Amino acid sequence: MISEEQQDQAALYALGLLDSDEDAAFESELRANAELRDLVRELREAAGDLALTAPSLLPPASLKERVMGEIAMETTRVVPMATRRAPFSWVPWAIAAALAVFCGLLALDRVRLQRQLADIRAADPLMQTTFYTLAPSAPAPADAKATVAWQPGRQSGVIRISNLPAPQSGKDYQLWAVDAEHKDPISAGVVRVDKSGVAQVRFKPVEKAEHVKAFAISLEREGGVPKKKGPILLVGTA
Amino acid sequence: MAETPTTQQMLDQEMIARIGRRDQSAFSAIYDRLSGPLYSLAMKMLGDPAEAQDALQDVFLQIWSRAGSYDPDQSSVFSWTVLLTRSRVIDRLRARGRRSRVVVASTEETPTAAADASTVESAADTAEKNDEAARVRYVLTNLPSEQREAIEMAFFEHLSHHEIAARLGQPLGTVKARIRRGLLKLRQRLSTL
Repeated sequence: MISEEQQDQAALYALGLLDSDEDAAFESELRANAELRDLVRELREAAGDLALTAPSLLPPASLKERVMGEIAMETTRVVPMATRRAPFSWVPWAIAAALAVFCGLLALDRVRLQRQLADIRAADPLMQTTFYTLAPSAPAPADAKATVAWQPGRQSGVIRISNLPAPQSGKDYQLWAVDAEHKDPISAGVVRVDKSGVAQVRFKPVEKAEHVKAFAISLEREGGVPKKKGPILLVGTA
Repeated sequence: MAETPTTQQMLDQEMIARIGRRDQSAFSAIYDRLSGPLYSLAMKMLGDPAEAQDALQDVFLQIWSRAGSYDPDQSSVFSWTVLLTRSRVIDRLRARGRRSRVVVASTEETPTAAADASTVESAADTAEKNDEAARVRYVLTNLPSEQREAIEMAFFEHLSHHEIAARLGQPLGTVKARIRRGLLKLRQRLSTL
């Protein structure tokens, strides 16, 4: 049972309004109280949703370039050199110039390879297939898994599931395609596992899914539902 | 008991896990998904496009560097990034020694005058995001006005409960209760709507 005072503190904590002493005291209380932790999470989600009430704006496209540039630099950042000018200080510049030429050649080669890859993809059905690895989320068993081989051109795919126990009576597993251009996940049918928790079935979503971001499996009532309602058990991107 | 994560929340979690493994394409995807709402929040609190962009840049660099320590048990990815954004914005407000210039009548969808370096989100915005925003706005505007006012002052203006009590001329306990009741109602109604 959470007291009203604890609820007050939880709301202030979720909004970041406690001072540092109150904050530390409340966090130690949180560590010992699972129910209070759940409440804080709920209140945090409510606070997070408040951001959506701000008038909707987009940052300029240049900001993304700036941010992506920063992380690329951070990824390749090297230990800074000593500030004292070395006798052969031109050497790094010469290496940089050589690297620049080399990168130019690589870029040309990349364009050529991309063209070749596009040709191969057009000719080979396997190359037109995208693979999605689905990982479990509670309440699915930790070793449950699934792989989807999806062919957008044919709008069909194959799913293989393993280590997923059969659902209780009156329930079925249902496969969903999460498509960037559809508000709700698109049903790709009911999937039934055998006694050993394995299934391998071909599927076709009920609507056209041209930009599939992910596939997911949920637990639904027997026979499936037109719109996802039940908990997600497995989900994964390409 | 915590709610089961939605498909979108699970996708976000997977993206963050990939960012933790230094996956720049996952980072690019999460930027595309979250930069709009986070920028909108920063703009609302700071009222200045250049500062909002700097704050957003800091936030995404933090997402890049801290993705490995993100804990899905504590909050969804969206709430985590909103809290990071508020925190960076509050640092900036403190640094410039004044409060946010927001107007509390915030639930109206008013065009901002400070959008010179930005674009008002329109066709590019997905229907899903608009629906979600409309849903939150609807619930917020239907809270009792005194609860909505206290929550908005706390969230967007970052006024402490003491400051809100002083501004409204209400006892501290009343303000705390309004914030608590308002947030609980908001969460409850959002989860059932």
